[in-house]
Amino acid sequence: MSDHSVAHGTFIVERTYNHPVEKVWAAWARSDLKRQWFGGGADNPPKVFEFRPGGRESSEGTIPNGPTFNFDVVYQDIVPNNRILYNYDMHMDGKKISVSLAAIEFWPEGRQTRLKLTEYGLFLDGLDNVAQRKEGTVGLMDQLGRFLDGTR
Amino acid sequence: MKPRSVTHASFTIKRSFKQAPDRVFAAFATESNKQAWFHGPDEWGRDKHEMDFRVGGRETSVGGPPGGPVSSFRGIYQDIVPDERIVFSYDMDLDGERISVSLTTIELKRDGAGTHLTYTEQGAYLDGWDHPDGREQGTRDLLDNLERYLGQN
Repeated sequence: MSDHSVAHGTFIVERTYNHPVEKVWAAWARSDLKRQWFGGGADNPPKVFEFRPGGRESSEGTIPNGPTFNFDVVYQDIVPNNRILYNYDMHMDGKKISVSLAAIEFWPEGRQTRLKLTEYGLFLDGLDNVAQRKEGTVGLMDQLGRFLDGTR
Repeated sequence: MKPRSVTHASFTIKRSFKQAPDRVFAAFATESNKQAWFHGPDEWGRDKHEMDFRVGGRETSVGGPPGGPVSSFRGIYQDIVPDERIVFSYDMDLDGERISVSLTTIELKRDGAGTHLTYTEQGAYLDGWDHPDGREQGTRDLLDNLERYLGQN
């Protein structure tokens, strides 16, 4: 037999941002805003960004002296200012390392927004794991908070 | 319109089949094989089913009871290892309303002359249209169909 394996893992990240829901939503929905906090940064925008049900998002980034990662999304459900559901694959140097289902829910709370990200992942063949993915996602939600705080 | 809600849930079903992994895998891997067991109750009649079984390929199945609501399944294959595993995401619509988004893993392991199958599904059930218990039961019914199909072919 081969060394193929599947590790199932799930995690939740919750945040309350001191910004109205329309502003938090726009940070996910607009390519020019999302690139400023998500993933590779503003100088490495996604190659594809189709924010609609059935649409795709695709980006690639290389860690200096390290591996190249590909992030490929299919959006499955979008309700403005309310929720985003998508699946995504990650590849490292061309090898598939994970397949995930992500749900991001938004609740307006006065002029603040509560965000809950629920992610379920399959980590393939020992190439990644849920603890690492959660850590990376926590970092992204912190970056989102800094981006929101730094913009009008 | 129903109030917006997302219910997160997962289920796992384990089955043993007498047939070897390549036989069980084949039941998932070609359109004609899959159509023989992957369908709704007999009274629904034949669903409209199309499948492109490769990574990135799509699958659709549209059907329902005569005169009743139309269920649409739309899947995309995300990982395939022959005779070992199949990973796909899918969404379900009922009369055009999205009712769920799910990620499914099917793992096959040789077990003597037969196969041990583990079916794991994580779902987000939307706006109260469907619920995890119903989906798990529907999946058990499909795997019963699969067992009968394998026994007859």
